[in-house]
Amino acid sequence: MPTTRGGIAAILFACLAAWGAALAQSDDPLGVGRKMLAEDNPGELWIEQGKTLFYQKRGPKNASLEQCDFGMGPGKLDGATARLPRYFPDTDRVQDLESRLLTCMVQLQGFNRDDIVKRAISPGGSNGSDVEALALYITSRSNGMKMNVSLSHQKEHEMFKAGEYLFFRRSGQTDFACVQCHGEANKRIRLQDLIHMTDKKGVQEVVSTWPAYRGAHFVVRTMQWRLYDCFWQMRLPELKYASDTSIALTTYLHYQGNGAVIKVPGFKR
Amino acid sequence: MGKACLKWTMLGSLALVFAGCATYPDPATTRQTAEKMVSEDFSAPEPTLLKRLVQDKSQQICSKIGDAKLTQEEAAEVVKLARASIQYPASGKLVGDWKAGDKLAHDGAGDRIQGGRLEKLKENGGLCQNCHALAPGEINVGNVGPSLTGYGLQRGNSEAIAKLTYERIYNAWAYSPCSNMPRLGATRHLTPEQVTHMVAYLLDPQSPINKR
Repeated sequence: MPTTRGGIAAILFACLAAWGAALAQSDDPLGVGRKMLAEDNPGELWIEQGKTLFYQKRGPKNASLEQCDFGMGPGKLDGATARLPRYFPDTDRVQDLESRLLTCMVQLQGFNRDDIVKRAISPGGSNGSDVEALALYITSRSNGMKMNVSLSHQKEHEMFKAGEYLFFRRSGQTDFACVQCHGEANKRIRLQDLIHMTDKKGVQEVVSTWPAYRGAHFVVRTMQWRLYDCFWQMRLPELKYASDTSIALTTYLHYQGNGAVIKVPGFKR
Repeated sequence: MGKACLKWTMLGSLALVFAGCATYPDPATTRQTAEKMVSEDFSAPEPTLLKRLVQDKSQQICSKIGDAKLTQEEAAEVVKLARASIQYPASGKLVGDWKAGDKLAHDGAGDRIQGGRLEKLKENGGLCQNCHALAPGEINVGNVGPSLTGYGLQRGNSEAIAKLTYERIYNAWAYSPCSNMPRLGATRHLTPEQVTHMVAYLLDPQSPINKR
């Protein structure tokens, strides 16, 4: 398997080099680049990887993830992530895709939670982590479906409101909350477009395109990574993987993004 | 069988009642819930770094949710706190070296925390390029903040302008309470000396910012 993945990485590298050449020649380099990336997304390769991991018997308990319940019943994946985050009675928590995945990998497969968390966000240029591939595969099973997060349980209401509060909560030496960069249309950090998340269209783009292939890292990244990385740039301490803070923000965004048609992997710079 | 059925129906209706009753918590409860999350959900190589998550009074005031507006009293308080925060360099000289300022303006690194490590550099970058247009023709610049191209050409480089510029970089909220601009000096992201270099970068006629 590592050889296959090495081969894939080599092909990717060749493709990216070709894009680089194309970019240099174009009058509208960014536009051309974006178009090419959207048409030919290397992240697709991770879907198959995730599928294999999902059905393989793995972990100390030698079990697959087929009995994992993402809210639609054990093993029912079609449309499941369109409704996440949601409240799960067995854990008595509101969970997003990745925290739910953790629950299953620990309970069904017997993996050690800390071990998974340690590896969840892979190093750039690596083969990616199991969680990244699994999150992409599971989300891809909702491709073409509309985001449909509901707030019915009291804890879902609490999560949504906490997420809203956190989206606007300024702290640290940059005085940033999320809204400082994501509260207006057509803004950029240097050349990087910032999504306008206090706008329906913008927030719909966010909720329907993660996990995404991140060109600069040569790996698939998840929503947990996206949030972690924002806090890093904000100079704040490290956001814990699958923490309530991350789930609250995801609940806040996903609920507002309802109606967006899921299309993963997305493609990011 | 019939009994079990009845039991489930009752449980079901109870669940429905609960679902029907679920509501948004009030703001005070939300604040408590979310602040508890913040206090538990982050890690840092040294405990003191976790203090970055704690809001000061101004940050609390400036975290308005949605379209909520600052009241006049709140704006006045933020300005007052900002004015009180401003410290000047020991030398008293507010205009430093524009070349050092140019470098700082294009430096976005320093003080980030990743993989259990603090990015401790000789000095923190000034972050300007992330959000502001700088010298004419520079492409790799952001637009979250206003353009600074020709800043000195438009304003001159009098002492009054130098002081205003210094104070606006040191603590932008002294003039624009709760604006998106970080209070770079007041939060200790930059030192007073670094701020003087950025002032020079903005005002010096030789600086690329002021070239046509």
